[in-house]
Amino acid sequence: MIELNDLIVQAKDRVILDIPSLRLTKNKRYGIIGENGSGKTTLLRVLAGTITPTQGQIKGIKRDETMGYLPQSPYAFSFSVMRNISMAFDHSKLGENQAREMLKSVGMEHLLHSVGNKLSGGEKQRLGLARVLAMPREILLLDEPSSATDIRGTDIVEALLQDWFARSDGTLIFSTHSPAQALRLSDEILFMEKGKVIEQGDPKELFENPQQEETRSFLSHWRL
Amino acid sequence: MKSRISTRFIVFVVAVMLLLSVFGCKMEPEDKVLQMSTTTSVNDSGLMAYLQPEFEKATGYTLEITSAGTGAAIEKGRMGDADMLLVHSKSAEEEFIAEGFNEERIPFMYNFFVIVGPPEDPAGVASAVTAAEAFQKIADTGSLFISRGDNSGTHNKENAIWASIEYDPTAQAWYESIGQGMGDTLTMANERQAYTLSDKATFLAHENDLAMHLEETDDMKNTYSMIIISKDRFADSNVAGAQAFVDWVQSDAAKTMIADYGKAAYGEALFFNMD
Amino acid sequence: MELINSIFDFIFGPDPELRQIIAVTLRMSFFSTLISALLGIPLGVLLGANNFKSKPFVSRLVNTLLGLPPVVAGLVVFLLLSRSGPFGTFKLLYTVNAMVIAQVLLITPFVIAMTANLVGVNAASINETLAGIGITGMKRLKYFLIDYRIPFISIILAGFGRSIAEVGAVQMVGGNVQHKTRVMTTAIMMQTNMGRFEFAIALGIVLLLVSFLINSIVNQFQKAVGDD
Repeated sequence: MIELNDLIVQAKDRVILDIPSLRLTKNKRYGIIGENGSGKTTLLRVLAGTITPTQGQIKGIKRDETMGYLPQSPYAFSFSVMRNISMAFDHSKLGENQAREMLKSVGMEHLLHSVGNKLSGGEKQRLGLARVLAMPREILLLDEPSSATDIRGTDIVEALLQDWFARSDGTLIFSTHSPAQALRLSDEILFMEKGKVIEQGDPKELFENPQQEETRSFLSHWRL
Repeated sequence: MKSRISTRFIVFVVAVMLLLSVFGCKMEPEDKVLQMSTTTSVNDSGLMAYLQPEFEKATGYTLEITSAGTGAAIEKGRMGDADMLLVHSKSAEEEFIAEGFNEERIPFMYNFFVIVGPPEDPAGVASAVTAAEAFQKIADTGSLFISRGDNSGTHNKENAIWASIEYDPTAQAWYESIGQGMGDTLTMANERQAYTLSDKATFLAHENDLAMHLEETDDMKNTYSMIIISKDRFADSNVAGAQAFVDWVQSDAAKTMIADYGKAAYGEALFFNMD
Repeated sequence: MELINSIFDFIFGPDPELRQIIAVTLRMSFFSTLISALLGIPLGVLLGANNFKSKPFVSRLVNTLLGLPPVVAGLVVFLLLSRSGPFGTFKLLYTVNAMVIAQVLLITPFVIAMTANLVGVNAASINETLAGIGITGMKRLKYFLIDYRIPFISIILAGFGRSIAEVGAVQMVGGNVQHKTRVMTTAIMMQTNMGRFEFAIALGIVLLLVSFLINSIVNQFQKAVGDD
């Protein structure tokens, strides 16, 4: 169980994350939805440990090699795609075959010998995903993992994540712009607004019968 | 959000600054300015700064002095960037005259070079009677010697002394040619505790741990001359101003000043008038 | 055309002095640039890739050192190496080593500043991406160094350019001693002081040619490394 208590993140004079209490069970898939600036990225960063909260505690998350975090625009380095993936290993002796397999899983194996920083935004994102998945992970934190990819790329990413979850039995926490994607991919949805978690629950329930006014208002803009 | 007031204000300030810089400089009538090109040794001795206010008061001219190595100082004359030269390198001066920059050089002042070196005097220069003899002792003992190596008046004098003993030191390990002015040469000689030939004024004015071992021999006389740049070469040469300086510096008042210079600070005169 | 002839004669002619001056210049610049790069690039990466409390102060300090006049750097090193100074016993004054020391003092802040600025642009994104796969602390350094290897070459070349063109410090601590510490720039200054303006310009042209040649070679190398 991952627990957040009395968690506040303050940047300059503004409170950008305010979570009195949050419970996330392991081995489940959580989709975080909400407008831009609602705090999705901040929540993921706090979970990943790249931001230290101004106050509050987090329990139940181990920040070691069993955790993988993919930021919103992952950086692709100016060396080969293969090296961009193998760098995720402690010993970067990743065989070409393994790298090709990772790339195949994200639909980019034709780019094995390309240079990382020359890829398109969507390709960089999928490269980042291949890189973070190169090591076995117990918990995956992904910030809008298919925001830059086209429809085909999105399908590939979603299929990969479903597959990963089925095989590894880990915990998946991701944010997305698309409520539809959240519906497809999660066991539980969190809706955020202005730094707070407004509602948390079963996807179908939340969509058909939102409890909070803000949730209803947000979902009214979406047609499923 | 930029307010239109602040942009206009900036433009106004810049315009005022530009106007001020153009009209703010005091413009001297050109013919009242005398441009003199002299050497670093002359300047470093402090003599010109000492004479300048009196000259300007007595004649109403403004004196603008530039100093450089002998070669560059004379070159300024060739290029018309000076109205007169004040240098101390006879051979270079005669070459300049031969090129038609004026009819004559006017020697008016002299002093002596000195041979300085480490206080212990390993080469025994102090017991020499002439500079030639001193240089021979330096060569015989292979003592470190720093040469100005810049074709200056001092360097030419140094070469003349080597020539007089028919000795060429240029390939020797103890002979270092550095191509710099007197002050810098003394600095290096001090750092390396080496011998060098210097004019007395610069040596006395320079802070170092070297000692003067030989002075005032006949073969170390250093003559200063003035050369006015002729209007035939450069039509706007301020010949009147240059002539005013030439006349003034040979007046009794100026001669007294020159003879007195250095007595207070060093207990002896640094320059001598020619009669 | 006479000038070109005399330049040609001077470079390839029987008198070895110019070749010697060029050799001393290149030896000095090579070491100055090398040491400044070895010091400056890692320090620049550390500065640019990290956020720490005294970072604004350190940045300001580096930028101030950027404005250090070469003649002041020369004077400081001179006073340190002088026989009356703390390191006089090493007899380093008026040697190529002294010139290298003074130049390292000048060029290292430049390399640090340029590296920090370069790396700072994407540092946040790089740091976050690396953190996501468990690479933190000093382990990040390696990836910054490899990722920016091509622009680093440009920075090093710029440092080299500063070194080969510098005159104030090397004149002071090197002394322009013929055959020993005379480099292109001090030779040019000397010729200027002697009034040999045309010759000085000729030497200046040679200096530019040497610099251009080195720049071209390194740029070719850069392109080769870039296509890996």
